[in-house]
Amino acid sequence: MKVIGKSVIRKEAFDKVNGRALYTNDYHSVSMLSAKLVISPYGHARIISIEYKDALNMPGVRAILTGAHLPLTGESLRDRPPLAYDKVRYHGEAIAMVVADTPSQAKNAADRITIQYELLPVVNSPTEAFQPGTILVHPKLGDYVKEQDMNPVPGTNIASHVKIRKGNIEEGWKESETTVEASFSFAPSDHVAMETRCSIAEISPDGNVHIMTSSQAPFMVKQLIAAYFHEDLGKIIVTTPLVGGAYGGKASVQLELLAYLASKAVGGKPVKILNTREEDILTSPCHIGLDAKIKFGADQNGMLKAAEIQYLWDGGAYSDKAADMTRAAAADCTGPYHIDNVWCDSYCMYTNHPYAAPFRGFSHSELSFAIERTLNLLAEKLKIDPLELRRQNAILPGNTTPTQVLLNKSSVGNLPKCIDRLKELIQWEEGQVVEVSDRTIRAKGISCSWKTSTIEANAPSGVILTFNRDGSINLMSGVIEIGTGTKTVLAQILAERLKMDVDKIHVRMEVDTQTTPEHWKTVASRGTFMAGKALLEAAEDVIKQIKEVASPVLRAEKNDLEVANSRVFLKDNPSIGVDFKDIVYGYQFPNGNSIGGQIIGRGNYILRRISRMNPETGEGRPGPEWTVGAYGVEVEFDKIDYTYRLLRAVSVIDIGTVLNEKAAKGQVMGAMSIGLAFAGRETFYFDEFGRVLNPQLRTYRPLRYGENPEYLVDFVLTPQLDAPYGARGVGEHGLLGMPGALGNALSTAAGVSLHHLPLTPELIWRTKGGEENAFL
Amino acid sequence: MLSFDFDYYKPVTLKEAVQLLETLEQQEKKTMVFSGGTELITLGRIDLSITEAVIDIKDIQECRVMGLNEKNLVLGSALSLTKIEKANLFPLLTKVSSEIADHTARGKITLGGNICAKIFYREAVLPFLLTDSQVIIAGAKGIKVLSIHDIFHEELQLEKGDILLQLETEKSFLGSPFLCIKRRQQWNSGYPLITICALKVGNEIRVAISGFCPFPFRSKVVEEILNNDRLSLEERINTVIEVLPGPILNDVEGSSKYRVFVLKNLLREIMMSLKVEV
Repeated sequence: MKVIGKSVIRKEAFDKVNGRALYTNDYHSVSMLSAKLVISPYGHARIISIEYKDALNMPGVRAILTGAHLPLTGESLRDRPPLAYDKVRYHGEAIAMVVADTPSQAKNAADRITIQYELLPVVNSPTEAFQPGTILVHPKLGDYVKEQDMNPVPGTNIASHVKIRKGNIEEGWKESETTVEASFSFAPSDHVAMETRCSIAEISPDGNVHIMTSSQAPFMVKQLIAAYFHEDLGKIIVTTPLVGGAYGGKASVQLELLAYLASKAVGGKPVKILNTREEDILTSPCHIGLDAKIKFGADQNGMLKAAEIQYLWDGGAYSDKAADMTRAAAADCTGPYHIDNVWCDSYCMYTNHPYAAPFRGFSHSELSFAIERTLNLLAEKLKIDPLELRRQNAILPGNTTPTQVLLNKSSVGNLPKCIDRLKELIQWEEGQVVEVSDRTIRAKGISCSWKTSTIEANAPSGVILTFNRDGSINLMSGVIEIGTGTKTVLAQILAERLKMDVDKIHVRMEVDTQTTPEHWKTVASRGTFMAGKALLEAAEDVIKQIKEVASPVLRAEKNDLEVANSRVFLKDNPSIGVDFKDIVYGYQFPNGNSIGGQIIGRGNYILRRISRMNPETGEGRPGPEWTVGAYGVEVEFDKIDYTYRLLRAVSVIDIGTVLNEKAAKGQVMGAMSIGLAFAGRETFYFDEFGRVLNPQLRTYRPLRYGENPEYLVDFVLTPQLDAPYGARGVGEHGLLGMPGALGNALSTAAGVSLHHLPLTPELIWRTKGGEENAFL
Repeated sequence: MLSFDFDYYKPVTLKEAVQLLETLEQQEKKTMVFSGGTELITLGRIDLSITEAVIDIKDIQECRVMGLNEKNLVLGSALSLTKIEKANLFPLLTKVSSEIADHTARGKITLGGNICAKIFYREAVLPFLLTDSQVIIAGAKGIKVLSIHDIFHEELQLEKGDILLQLETEKSFLGSPFLCIKRRQQWNSGYPLITICALKVGNEIRVAISGFCPFPFRSKVVEEILNNDRLSLEERINTVIEVLPGPILNDVEGSSKYRVFVLKNLLREIMMSLKVEV
């Protein structure tokens, strides 16, 4: 029986296509109250007064909360009040919260609250934030409580500074005959998950705190509520049903805190808070922006010798997860290339923009845009084929990463092989530019990526397996089903290991932190790897227990037994055996005597040998393995008006093993689609007050069906030896190369070097000098 | 979610609707005449639209007319855009309409709703401006028939108590060569950066534009220049840019300077495609 690699239909597919799948906002109860936020209309302002007496007298209103006396929150640095106090630091920041009987009563009362502001000067980009003597977003930065690996610089807007010092940078420049230097930037944007964030909280009379939330990190919600508000960890029960898309945005903990506070304010009654699309875009954390400076040096053969990199991440008003993205970016700062001398400064900058959540790829698609564009500039200068330049500098086993991890065949995929396959799929030999007509050309751009997952060094994952009396199995894992199909893949792994029918494995979709074993967070393409490892251990546990009971029953050594097809039997004579149903709840002899009992399998996994990065050099092992990929995008470009169409997009990713073919391809295509939308259209437009001018789907537009190119996805299979069936992470990787490849295709097509996102026709027109030549 | 309450009326005769509107206005109730309701729903939820009463006209027969009489094509204001597209009696209108919003929304958005919209693109009016159509309006004093040029200035200048009933277009225009291009900030979805519609009547070209200014327009001066055979194509285009109305939009869809660049390209494309002699 071979289940691995098969395109098994998702376990939750029928519920989803019938509209019966339930998400957080689908859960109602008669007694449930509603909370509504009042949010800041400005990017930076002092709060002079909040007048809410009238609102409090509105029908149905139970409570109104403001930011006074609330503890500071923040995952790595406690810099964020749950409701703004004294100052607002970004457009959309929550200032007050009304709790009322119905959503419209809450909204009407929220509309009645009047707030007076005194406008403050706005820090509108990370580069502005970096200027000495500029406005400070957090003048009291030095007073905040912080985690060990945060390096804030009080008196500046630097929330954290991560350094990479590898090799001897001066030597590197000496060996470099050719150097290129370039700057890149793009503003923050959004995740636009279909389901807007929603949380429900209730505090029962026994003191139990019940939270239901659309989250990628229910176990983190539990920990943070305990830490911030001094609740007993065991009394906090967080439930997560299906999640309607997350893309990293639901790994941040925000609404849960507000729902908890709201419930507490009304004597523990259940309170729901549901983001409108506008709040989901503005108030809840967004997709990070970046200003980057890259300098590469290469010798006469085009071998990279030195890299000097500065990343100024637009973490927005609060550091939260941006600090971790800053570190992840430093760890993989060069892209998937072997360079002996690397100097990188990655800064998490405070600005007056919405603060950042993780975004699929965790800073890698962002930094790749800067790296991959610079590599093309280098190729141009060296007069080397850009694909060849990448191939000859590709990271290999035996090389070291920027944090000086020595790679081997298992810990890094085969990038040259990905590049070779890309070359075929994108028909590179045909040429980078092909004339189509007088005014249109087809142009191609390529890029590469790598990524390790820099999650907590002690991140756990656990699995419990129980049996039903018919011999079927219930699989419980703390992985959240955010649309990736991971739980179905887990069922496949179990079916493969137990050599049984995947339909006889029942997967629990909902997670509740009281009864589901913890999976750290459903992030960083780690679901299959970590939960898969835990699951395999649980499967071994089950096999061992079954054999123990079967051994006396079959009167055979445990070693002579085999488990397959929901049966345990003699290896050399399969006709002698017992079905699961007759043994997993104890075996009963004909006279009624019974042995064994209910079989419960357990397994866990904790990442091994992950270490913190040295604060001076960055040395350390940030993650277990590096997935690599090569990408291409082909556009049809109009030379007159600079409009373009996406024709084809290619991703070739080394994923070790294909566990579920359609699921894997779907993950990659979906990620590519997000990447192209981010590269080509999605951005926040800010005005001088730091206001986001397009916080609606009318004006903030993800890729629509029909705008997409043809997607070509292929895999290289270099197994990761310690992973379940050799599979590498794949949830994010389709996204990583898209901005770089599209940027390279359009720069080639337009004959100008493009340094910003999104890559709109107007950007190309401006880069070509259209603005200077225009008259009005 | 609309957090305000309003009275909802759904009259079945025109007379009833007109009387109702008059009564509500006498009571000084803020009243909205609608059919699809998309704008009230989408703008109401973000406090950009509010009303105390709604008169839903989609059951009124006169507002649902669609057909040709001896001389004219008559289209009722409560027809949904998808219905108009499907019938395809007016290919230019079909083309413009089919690029408004998305298919799901167009099943609700009506012809009258788009022309009278607060969101200022109002692209559905462009074909009627180009064909010198008639606007049929019902009011307390009965039915009025007006040239679109007399009543549409940036928006439809309805008087208190007026209900847009129908649009009437001479059949002879329906087969005229046309070109309609909607250029967006990026790719194929979203509001127009510029939507331009051109109609060739005899040897003369007519153009109407949305998205360039915060209102749609057709300009006689522009057309005179475009049809001026003493000027080269480039001269015509450059002169047109100087006489366009203002202000030129400068927003998240695109800067004013970029819009000028886009418009010049579109004018060139239109003049060449419709083979206007230059």
